[in-house]
Amino acid sequence: MGAELATLSIDNGVATLTLNRPDARNAMSPPLLDALHARVDELAKAREARAVVITGAGKSFCAGMDLKAVLDEPGAPARLLQSIGELTLKVRALPMPTIARVNGAAIGGGCGLACVCDLGVTHDDSKMGYPEVDLGVCPAVVAPWLVKKIGAGQARRVLLEGGTMSGRRAWELGLVTECVSADKLDETVAAIAERIASGGRKALAATKGWLNELDGSLDAAMVRRGAMISAEVVGSDEAQRTLRAKFAGR
Amino acid sequence: MVLLEHRGGVAVVTLSRPEKRNALTPAMLTDLALAVQSLREAAPGTEHARALVIQGEGPVFCAGFDLSMCRDDPGAIGAMLTGLSKAGRAVRRLPMPVICAAGGGAIAGGCALAASCDILVTDPGAKLGYPVVRLGVSPAVSGPMLAAQIGAGRARERMLDPETIGGEEALRIGLAHHLAPDADAVKALAMEIAQAMAAKPPHALAATKRWLNELDGSDRDNRHAGALGASLALAGGDEEQERLAAIWRKG
Repeated sequence: MGAELATLSIDNGVATLTLNRPDARNAMSPPLLDALHARVDELAKAREARAVVITGAGKSFCAGMDLKAVLDEPGAPARLLQSIGELTLKVRALPMPTIARVNGAAIGGGCGLACVCDLGVTHDDSKMGYPEVDLGVCPAVVAPWLVKKIGAGQARRVLLEGGTMSGRRAWELGLVTECVSADKLDETVAAIAERIASGGRKALAATKGWLNELDGSLDAAMVRRGAMISAEVVGSDEAQRTLRAKFAGR
Repeated sequence: MVLLEHRGGVAVVTLSRPEKRNALTPAMLTDLALAVQSLREAAPGTEHARALVIQGEGPVFCAGFDLSMCRDDPGAIGAMLTGLSKAGRAVRRLPMPVICAAGGGAIAGGCALAASCDILVTDPGAKLGYPVVRLGVSPAVSGPMLAAQIGAGRARERMLDPETIGGEEALRIGLAHHLAPDADAVKALAMEIAQAMAAKPPHALAATKRWLNELDGSDRDNRHAGALGASLALAGGDEEQERLAAIWRKG
């Protein structure tokens, strides 16, 4: 077995979950998603962790779904979308607060993973967004988290206009809670994680659990339906044409 | 008074009654719903329209209902409320992005119409809002769309406070998404955004819009029926009649 695609370390109450596929900008392939599921399952039982930082190895946070890896395999895009949906539900249901350390591009499903975290920190030079519609695909699976985070009106604009935005703009919209200069990212994340981890485990879990209940975060059916809608669109002729043209052009 | 034209992949619906700041009549609202509906039958994915711009002729997008209609016909306001609810829902359900060029002003019914669009473009000098409780009229009919666009807390403030807001504030609270320097530039920018969206794969856009409608509940008929009912309950009532009559007296 090669290097682990997702690593987990816990230090002084703060867990760090790292997407570790830097040569592919941490794009979510089926094996990477399987690794993330395994690490998040471990986290759910890690009583010593009172805060979790989720980040990407290398220059990117996560380039999104690795559609190129699965496009020719029947049923594979749908399974990938389902897996992303289930992963976001698991991350949301973790009893400890999660902080996305958006160290670089967080695109599509990658932006969805950042968005599902309770807090997010990025820097001025990062790039975030949901360019799904530009590729003929539909961000339905991750839309519920964006609607909860920035409101339905802004989510409508972000998802229908497609493209990406700067970290600064993402912060203005409320997609992340902090935006700092790139050289301040590490100390900012460390300070927030430490501050949060100073809270009591039960108090943090009760508060997060109640917030999840208030905003309907535990409504798994909504995310699963979103995954189905995304899968339907990926399977359409329009998406297949647009994606193949895009991959051929690379 | 409602014009529909096609410019490339973009359909443009123009409220065309500039001498009345495009104030809405029951007939205009019916025509608007029909124009939007006609695009739906062609969409999506064909060489027909892939995005819609709704705009007003002249410097002001829309001053709201033409209340002078109510002078001779006490039933007019009910007809306008019902027509507005229908037109707004048709816009929301149209399976393509709808961009509102709301330069100059989007008042009451005009603001409701603008809030039912996906993307709203305005200018800093514009006035947006619902200054109608003063007239004994309830903007409740706009509630489901407005709450979906800016959140229930802010919608509460905007519908109860008859003060209008400017373009900058509209941008800040998320009612508007883009600002252009003036009303003419608003139309140009709305068209530019529409063209960019029309160049994107239409099925993906349609599926995304449908899902957003479901997530924010803005296509739920029972919600709109309740909202319309709340506005209609006051139509023709004493308070409204007295307050409207006071306007006629002032001339």
